[in-house]
Amino acid sequence: MKEDLEKVRQEKTRWGEKTLKAALERFKLKESPTQFYAPSDLDDGFNFLEQVGFPGQYPFTAGTYPTFPYLTGERGSGGIAQAKGLVRAGRYSGYGAPEDTRDYYLHMRKLGSRTGPNIAFDLPTQCGYDSDSPMASGEVGRVGVAVDTLRDMEVIFEAFSGENDIDRTASNFTINAPANILMAMYMALAEKRGISRDKLRATPQNDILKEFVARGTYIFPPRPSMRMFRDSLVFISKHLPNVNITSIGGYHIREAGATREQDLAFSLAIGAAYLQEGVNAGLAVDAFAPRFTFNAFGGSMEFFKEVAFHRAARRMWAKLLKEKFGAKNERSMTLRVPLTVYPGNFNCTVQRPLNNLVRSVVGGIAAAMAGGAPNCYPPYDEPLGLGWSLEAIQLSEDAARILQHEAKLVEVTDPLAGSYYVESLTNQIESAAWTEFEKIQKMGGAVAAIESGYMQREVAKSAYDRQKKLEEGKELIVGVNCFLGESELEVSTTRLVAHPYDPQRRDEAERVQITHLKETKEKRDHKAVGLLLKELKVAAQKEEVNLIPHLLECVKAYATLQEMCDILREVFGEYRPAAL
Amino acid sequence: MNQGKKIRVLVAKPGLDGHDRGAKVVAFGLRDAGFEVVYTGLRQTPEMIASAAIQEDVDVVGLSILSGAHLSLTQRVLQNLRAKGAGDKMVLVGGIISPADAGKLKEMGVAEVFIPGTSIKSIADFIKSKFTG
Repeated sequence: MKEDLEKVRQEKTRWGEKTLKAALERFKLKESPTQFYAPSDLDDGFNFLEQVGFPGQYPFTAGTYPTFPYLTGERGSGGIAQAKGLVRAGRYSGYGAPEDTRDYYLHMRKLGSRTGPNIAFDLPTQCGYDSDSPMASGEVGRVGVAVDTLRDMEVIFEAFSGENDIDRTASNFTINAPANILMAMYMALAEKRGISRDKLRATPQNDILKEFVARGTYIFPPRPSMRMFRDSLVFISKHLPNVNITSIGGYHIREAGATREQDLAFSLAIGAAYLQEGVNAGLAVDAFAPRFTFNAFGGSMEFFKEVAFHRAARRMWAKLLKEKFGAKNERSMTLRVPLTVYPGNFNCTVQRPLNNLVRSVVGGIAAAMAGGAPNCYPPYDEPLGLGWSLEAIQLSEDAARILQHEAKLVEVTDPLAGSYYVESLTNQIESAAWTEFEKIQKMGGAVAAIESGYMQREVAKSAYDRQKKLEEGKELIVGVNCFLGESELEVSTTRLVAHPYDPQRRDEAERVQITHLKETKEKRDHKAVGLLLKELKVAAQKEEVNLIPHLLECVKAYATLQEMCDILREVFGEYRPAAL
Repeated sequence: MNQGKKIRVLVAKPGLDGHDRGAKVVAFGLRDAGFEVVYTGLRQTPEMIASAAIQEDVDVVGLSILSGAHLSLTQRVLQNLRAKGAGDKMVLVGGIISPADAGKLKEMGVAEVFIPGTSIKSIADFIKSKFTG
């Protein structure tokens, strides 16, 4: 083998000096715009079992699962299969007041949706403010649904009862800083319905560290935030066997400007910090790691690099769990993520927006090459404003169906395995990401790297570098910084099918929700709420106490989200970002 | 404006929206284009932004909003600036803003609206044209 490789190396040099050189001279080029990879370009040779392995087996480079019955035909499923009799959470959605979101889910059900709620909360809820707070003014029900008290969750979940009750339906909550409060509300809802906790299926996003680096819906400083994370990890591991602990999201960091390697290294460092919390709490890693999930990673149009990125990500997470955390259960080592490659919302353009459909299809093809469902995300009207139109959703779903059923892209798992180029790229990305990961470990891990502002500054710097490249024309986005001549047609699009959420209700939502909140507060036992909040404060002052049972009592007495957060603000303080 | 001095710009994030890639990139870019730039960071109320604009004696207030709450937040920033006697400051808005809403913002008194895909150069050129023209 070694001799063969040496021969290939020599031949490649000869090819460069003779055949390639002649072509460069013909085109008057100093260097070749294309690369060619030969077996000799895989640095340490290539060991299939060590570097790739079989799908669903360590190191999971080829895929998380041995096989996968993709269901791209199913409405709103996101192309993810589910076990019979269970309903997976579907498309990210949440509008206005709780009634609006309930009605939206009922409407989508009429349109054929068979998925659970994947709830978007409005910014006041995500940042720990009630709808009547001056901080919430103008933002109630805008980017998601407003939830102030348990009453609001009761209303939303009126859309999920009977045959799709919450013991059969999985719910996702895109909530981070107040994740434990929302989970307490969900448990209280189950209790009221007579459903035992261990039947609940849910995924709170509960990935607070990335909020400091991107997205910005933090409340408390990083250390007390990690205590809240520990509480959820311990509580969920003990009492909620079918609930995921976290859904770690590298893609937010990428959207905020991170490079591919930063995205991977920062996400893994954040994941490692969460794992360490569980270990520090005295749990065996295999007792909780199988309930770690990932939201999404990546987000760029660079086809092969993103394919390699996902292969590297799976391998790195597996190695981290096995080698650094000593996991024995293979499930602990799997990187479970619903979306693999996608073009990145940042790269979708307002200009000639139908081009985003092309971009999402490129992402869908790459996704299938990277061991995922051929999801074509996001719907093309993503950059036109909040809320995808039904026709953009239809085209997005159809695109995935075409990739599966007509192009038959999912007949083979990891079809690029063994490609000299893709294997070498996978190694390069992994190696660069480990270097950055180790740098963060030397700083004291993800929490320290966030407290010092390192991750935030690096991401901002990378975002600015990308912008400079775009302005200098070193990176091109069609219709944005190139191909803008007079002969180009500015294709715009009219969204003819109205969004199921009536925009008038959105404008009314703030007023409506403030009234509901007032009514809920009038009906509750104020004295009881006051006492429970005092108990919460005492408990919060003791680092070792798990706050979730206390939050559950507060929630059941209809304490508001902000009342609970304010108590915790008093004890934990509020996060103030490091300077740029 | 401050004669002979650099044009001073406040880049601000009103409301609870945490998407600050655009705000940071514009802050860096305008600084490199020769402006004095102050960046407020996240979660600024309209009152805080108006006070900062006066305290920092800026010529331009740039608001970055991607949460869909741009009409109400911008209105309140403008009201606060006028109430504090600083209604003459140029206000710019950047974010995901439909053409219809951009029209409404301009009626309120916003000088220009910049959507995703805008180059920093064009923002810098716009500001300079208003102060040197």
